[in-house]
Amino acid sequence: MKKTVTLFLVLVLALTLTVSALAEPVTITYAHFSGAGAQEETLKKMIAVFEEKNPDIKIDLQITGYDDYFTKLATTVGGNNAPDVFEMNMENYLAYMLRGACADLTGMVNADNYSAGTLEAVSSDGKLYAVPMSFSTCILIYNKALFDQAGIAYPNNEWTWADIQTAAEAIKALGDDIWGFYQPISYNEFYKSVKGNGGSLLNDDYTAFTVNSPENVAVLDAMLKRVRGENHVQPTAEEMAGRGDWDLFTEGKLGMIITGIWAFPTFTEKCSFDWDIVVEPGYATKSTFFFANVNCVSPSSEKKEAAAKFIDAMGSDPDIVQLRLDASWELPTIADQSKLTQYLEVTPPANRAAVFDSMDYAAAPPALKESGAASEIIGNVLSTLEMNDISAQEALDDIQSQLEDAGLL
Amino acid sequence: MYIPNTAGKRRATAVFLLPSMIGVVVFCLLPILASAVFSVMDYDLLMPMNTMKYVGFNNFARILTGSEFPKVLGHTFTYLILYLPLILITSVGQALILNKSFKGHGLFRTICYTPVITSWVAAAVVWQWVLSGKYGLLNQMLSTFGITGPAWLNSKEWAMPGIVLAAVWKDTGYYALMVLAALKSIDPSCYEAADIDGANGLRKLTRITLPLISPTLFLLIVINIIYGLQVFDSVLIMTNGGPGGATTVFLERIYKYAFKQYKMGLASAYSWILFALILIFTAIQFRLQRKWVNYDA
Amino acid sequence: MMRNAIAPRKFIRGTLFYLMLIVIILCTILPFAWMVSSSFKGSEAIRTIPIRWIPERPTLEGYERVFNMQGFSFARSSLNSLILAIACTIVAVGSATMAAFVFSKLPFKGSGKIFGLYLATMMIPGTVTMVPNYIILRTLGLLDTYTGLILPSLANAFGVFLMRQSMMSVNDAYMESAYLDGASLYRIFFQIMLPMVMPTLSTMILLSFMGSWNSYLWPLIVLTSTDKQTLQVVLGNMNGMYKNNEHVLMAGAVLTILPILVVYLVTQRYVDQGISLGGLK
Repeated sequence: MKKTVTLFLVLVLALTLTVSALAEPVTITYAHFSGAGAQEETLKKMIAVFEEKNPDIKIDLQITGYDDYFTKLATTVGGNNAPDVFEMNMENYLAYMLRGACADLTGMVNADNYSAGTLEAVSSDGKLYAVPMSFSTCILIYNKALFDQAGIAYPNNEWTWADIQTAAEAIKALGDDIWGFYQPISYNEFYKSVKGNGGSLLNDDYTAFTVNSPENVAVLDAMLKRVRGENHVQPTAEEMAGRGDWDLFTEGKLGMIITGIWAFPTFTEKCSFDWDIVVEPGYATKSTFFFANVNCVSPSSEKKEAAAKFIDAMGSDPDIVQLRLDASWELPTIADQSKLTQYLEVTPPANRAAVFDSMDYAAAPPALKESGAASEIIGNVLSTLEMNDISAQEALDDIQSQLEDAGLL
Repeated sequence: MYIPNTAGKRRATAVFLLPSMIGVVVFCLLPILASAVFSVMDYDLLMPMNTMKYVGFNNFARILTGSEFPKVLGHTFTYLILYLPLILITSVGQALILNKSFKGHGLFRTICYTPVITSWVAAAVVWQWVLSGKYGLLNQMLSTFGITGPAWLNSKEWAMPGIVLAAVWKDTGYYALMVLAALKSIDPSCYEAADIDGANGLRKLTRITLPLISPTLFLLIVINIIYGLQVFDSVLIMTNGGPGGATTVFLERIYKYAFKQYKMGLASAYSWILFALILIFTAIQFRLQRKWVNYDA
Repeated sequence: MMRNAIAPRKFIRGTLFYLMLIVIILCTILPFAWMVSSSFKGSEAIRTIPIRWIPERPTLEGYERVFNMQGFSFARSSLNSLILAIACTIVAVGSATMAAFVFSKLPFKGSGKIFGLYLATMMIPGTVTMVPNYIILRTLGLLDTYTGLILPSLANAFGVFLMRQSMMSVNDAYMESAYLDGASLYRIFFQIMLPMVMPTLSTMILLSFMGSWNSYLWPLIVLTSTDKQTLQVVLGNMNGMYKNNEHVLMAGAVLTILPILVVYLVTQRYVDQGISLGGLK
C-alpha cells in the first residue's frame, strides 16, 4: 500500500513539475538595431502582437544603435553570450553565415510567405540561415526645380548613364555652387555598378578576382569622368567641405543623387522644392542595391523552436506586417506584393513604383568571407582617385594585385 | 620614508595596496594574459573558441613582414613626434597663465577647459572646417601671410599634422589641469630667496618652477608617449585612417582587424608589437629621469 | 624717474597679455561655440559654408526632442550615469591614492617591479582586452549589473601614476615625525598626506568623474536592460537615428556637459586652495 501511495505521489510530483515547466514562458533575447530611435514604438507594438499570440514566449529586447551594434554583437558572440535572435543586414550577414554563426533554419519557417529574391539571398546550398524581415533599396532622386531651370527633361526609366552625364552637365552649368550629380566612389557603389555592365569583382566560382576586367574599367572610367576635369559635375570631398550629400540636396544645390529610400522622410521635411525618383540608370543593364534586414538565430541558442517562431512572425505575420506599413518603416519582404499598394499611395515622391521596380535589378554583395579586408583595400584606392590623375585601368590593376597578394581566397 | 618594518606596517601596506591590486590582477593582467594567448592563435572572433588553432609566431611574422607595417609605424611616429613637444609647451604654458590671477581669471579658466568637454563629434565638424583646403579658417589665415595652405585632411602628407593640431587643441586643457595642480603645490617660500636676489620671471621659471614640477612633467611625457602611440579616437573621427590609408595607426588597425575582419589573433599580436614599442620608449624615459627629474621637496 | 619709466612698460606688457588671452580664447572656444549654437538650430542646414555662428531661427526643438526621446527616459538614464559616475570615482580615486601611497612612501622588496607592472597594463590597448574582460564578467555573473561596471574601476594605473608623482614630492619629515609621535599609518595617510596633495587629488577626482561619465563602449556592451542604460549610451543610440538632425545630437552633447562643468568648478576651488600646511611649519 505504502509503495503504491509513494508511486502515486511521485507521479503527481513529476506531472506537476512537467506541467509547470511547460507553462513557464520561454524568454528569447533579441538584439536589434534598425528600429533604434524613430521606430522603437512600432517595434514594441510588433513584439506585443507576437507575445499576445504566443503567451508562452517572452521577448527580451536589446536595442543598440547601428554604429556600435556590430561591435557589441561580435563581443557577445566572441564572449560566448550570443543573443538567441539577432538582426543582421546584408553586408554583415554573409560574414556571420560563412563563419557558422547563424543557425540552420531549414524547415522551421513557412518559406512560401517570403519573396523569392530575399529567400535566395539568405539561403546557401539549399539551407536557410536567416529569415527576411524588411528591405529598402537605393534609387535616383532628382530635384525637379533644377531640371526646370536648366530646361531639360526629367529622368525616366529608359535613361542610361550617358543621359545622366548630359543632364548633370546642364545642371552644373547653372552656377558655381550647383552640382549635377552625386554618387560616392566606394566599394559598395563599385561592386553594384559593375554588375550593370556585365562585370564583377570575382569570377563565377569565386576562385579568382576579376577586378580589372574591361567591363569594370569602363564603369570606373565613367565614375571618374564625373568627378575630374574642369567642368566636373560631382563635388569632391574638398568641395563638399564637411557637408553631407543629403545637405547639398536639401539645400537645392544638387541635381541628382543616388541614395536610399530612407531619405524620403528627411527630404519631405527639408526640401522646399519638388523632387521625384526613378530607378537607377544602368550601363548595359540596370543594377541596384538591395538592403535587407534579416533575423538570424544563434547556433548556441537552446530555444531555437521558439526563436524561429518569433522571426517567422516578425517577417510575415499579417498584423505585424501591417504595423510596419502603417509606420512607413521600410518594406516587408513578403511574397504577396498586393499588400504593398498602401505604400505606393503616399507622396512625395510621386513615382514610388520605382522602389519596387528597383528590386528587379538587385545586386547581392560578393559572397566573400574576407569581405572586410577586400573592401578596405578597394576603398583605400577608390577614395583617393578623385584627387589624383591615376587612370581607371591603373587603379583597378593596382587593386587586383593587392587583392591577390593579400591571399584572401 | 623611513618606517620600521613592523607587522603593523606590513599589514597597513597590504590594506593600502590590495584593493588596487585585485582590480589590476583580475581586470588587467588576466585579460592581458588572454590576449597573449590569442596572439599565437588563429582566432576568429565569431567562431566558437574551441576552433582556435595554434599558429606560433605566424601572426607576428605576417604583420612585421607586411607592407602595411612600416606605414603604420611611420604614421604613429609622425603623430607622436609632432604632438609631444606641442602638448608640453601648450599645457605648461596654459597652466602658467592659469596660475596667475587677473581680471576674468575664472571665466578664462573655464573657457580653457571647454575643449576637453566638447564632444569629438562637434569638434571634428569645426576642425574639418578650420582645416578645409578651400574655405578653411587656417588656410585663409595663412594666405594673409602669402602661404597657400595644403588640403590638410584630404591630403596624404598633411592629414596627420591636421589631426595633431586638433588633438593638441582638445587635450591641452586636460593636461594643463595636472600641471596647474603641481604649480599650486609649490610652497611660495621657495621663491623668497630668488625675489631677494632680484631674479626675473624667466629665471624663476627655469631655475625654480620647472624643476619643482619636474615629477609632473615626467608624468606628462611618459603618459603622452604611452597614449600617443595608442592614438585612436581623433584619427577615427577625423579621417578614419584615410585619405587612402594615409593616417593608419596602431589602434585603428587593431580595432579594424578585431571587429571588422574578426581576426582576433592578428589584432592581439599587433597589440603586443605595440606593447614592445611602448615599453622600450617608457623604459628609456625612466632611465633618463635621473638626469632631470627632481623629487626633493 | 623710475616710476614713469616702468609704468608704460607695464602697460604694454599688460595689454600684450590680454591680447594673448583673447587669441587663446578665440582658438579655444570656437568648436564649443559651434556646438552650443547648433543645438539651437532647427531644421535649417547645420553645416553651411561659411559656418553660421548665430542660428537663423533659434529654437528649443533639439532639446525638446532629447527630453522626449522615444523608448529611453532622459531623466532615468542621467540618474543612472550619475550614480555610476559617483561610485566609480570613489572606487577609482580611493584605490589609486592608497596604492600610490605605498609606491611612493612605503616601498618594499619588489614594489618597484609591481609599479612597473601597473605601468605595463597601460600599454596594452583596451580593444583586445575587451573580449576577455567580457568573458571574465560573464563568469563572475556580473553582466548587466552596475557592480560589473564599478569593480573594474579598482584597476586605475593612470591614477596611481598621477598620485605617486605628486606624493613623491611631499617631504617625508612631516610624516616621519608624526609616526614617531605615535600616529598610525592610516592617520598619516588621511590627515597628512591627502591634504598635502589636495590639488592633484581634486584634479584626479575630476578626471575620474569625467572618465566614468563619458564612458560609452563598455557600458554599451555590458548593460542590456534598458532601465540600466547610461546617458551616453542612450545618446549614442540617437546617433544613427538623428544623423540628419544634428541639432538634436548637439543638444544632447550640450546636456551631457553640464554635470562635468559642475564637478569642474567645485574641484578647481580645491585646487586653488593649494597646500594648506596650517601649523606644520
